[in-house]
Amino acid sequence: MNDPLRPIEQALSDEGLYFTRDDDEDAYRVAFKSEGDRYFVVSYRDDPTFVMIGSGWALPGGVDPLDAVDVANRLNVRKKFVKTALWEEESDVLFTVELCVGTTNEVRPHFGRLLNVLRDTAAEFFDQLRPDDPPP
Amino acid sequence: MPSARELIKSFIESEGHKVDAAPPDDAGVSELLFRTRGQVFSVTTTEDDEAAFSISTAYEIPEWAREPGQNTEALERVHGRHPHVIFTLAHDGSLFVATLDEHAHSSQELINNFWSLVGRLRDAGSQAFEDIADRTESKVAAEKFINSFMMGGGQ
Repeated sequence: MNDPLRPIEQALSDEGLYFTRDDDEDAYRVAFKSEGDRYFVVSYRDDPTFVMIGSGWALPGGVDPLDAVDVANRLNVRKKFVKTALWEEESDVLFTVELCVGTTNEVRPHFGRLLNVLRDTAAEFFDQLRPDDPPP
Repeated sequence: MPSARELIKSFIESEGHKVDAAPPDDAGVSELLFRTRGQVFSVTTTEDDEAAFSISTAYEIPEWAREPGQNTEALERVHGRHPHVIFTLAHDGSLFVATLDEHAHSSQELINNFWSLVGRLRDAGSQAFEDIADRTESKVAAEKFINSFMMGGGQ
């Protein structure tokens, strides 16, 4: 069977990024880093038209989970493509772009944009969690 | 002990990016090329001065906006807002290069601030590109002239 994430590998090469594969009996997976931050892409064997690009982060200590949920909700209303969710007993935050595609070739020309949206959403999430910090 | 060039190359690769490394030239200057967020960046290191680095990136100017006089002024304005970034028009005004010269205490110091420096350069470069592509002032001047001419005020 064709590898549904092969076009994603090509998109990563277009972006000048290294990647690794970690497929198993359930899913195809690609992991990569950009500017030191970790990302993943997943497609399921029983649902190859679904593709998810995402990144996960630990919440900083001392953050009130209700504040984090509030920021996530506001981002979910405003942001195109990206879903922001608290998980793992609300100690982590996950940013994902979930798409339904004929093939992941359709994603390739937009991959840079989707990566930027993921990156910007994570940056905004953490900025809004600490509105009183002085600028760097 | 690894050279600054090798340390920076290893760092960029460990952050997920492929690096194209040119060997040092006769003057000991070498260049590392990598891509991030769709833009190619160059890091230049010097063997004689392990603490001196520059990071550069180039922007192609759209053909319809290639007016060297006007673009030099735009780049000077943006340099005023980002004094650490030097802008240079190149290739007969078809592109400009934004360069951040950095004299760190060590390559480790550069590495610690690397993405922040790249971000500063990208922000300055994007602003310069936007200023060059923004012809609002020229358009306003042209519209004034046309309006004045249509009303019989043209000479």
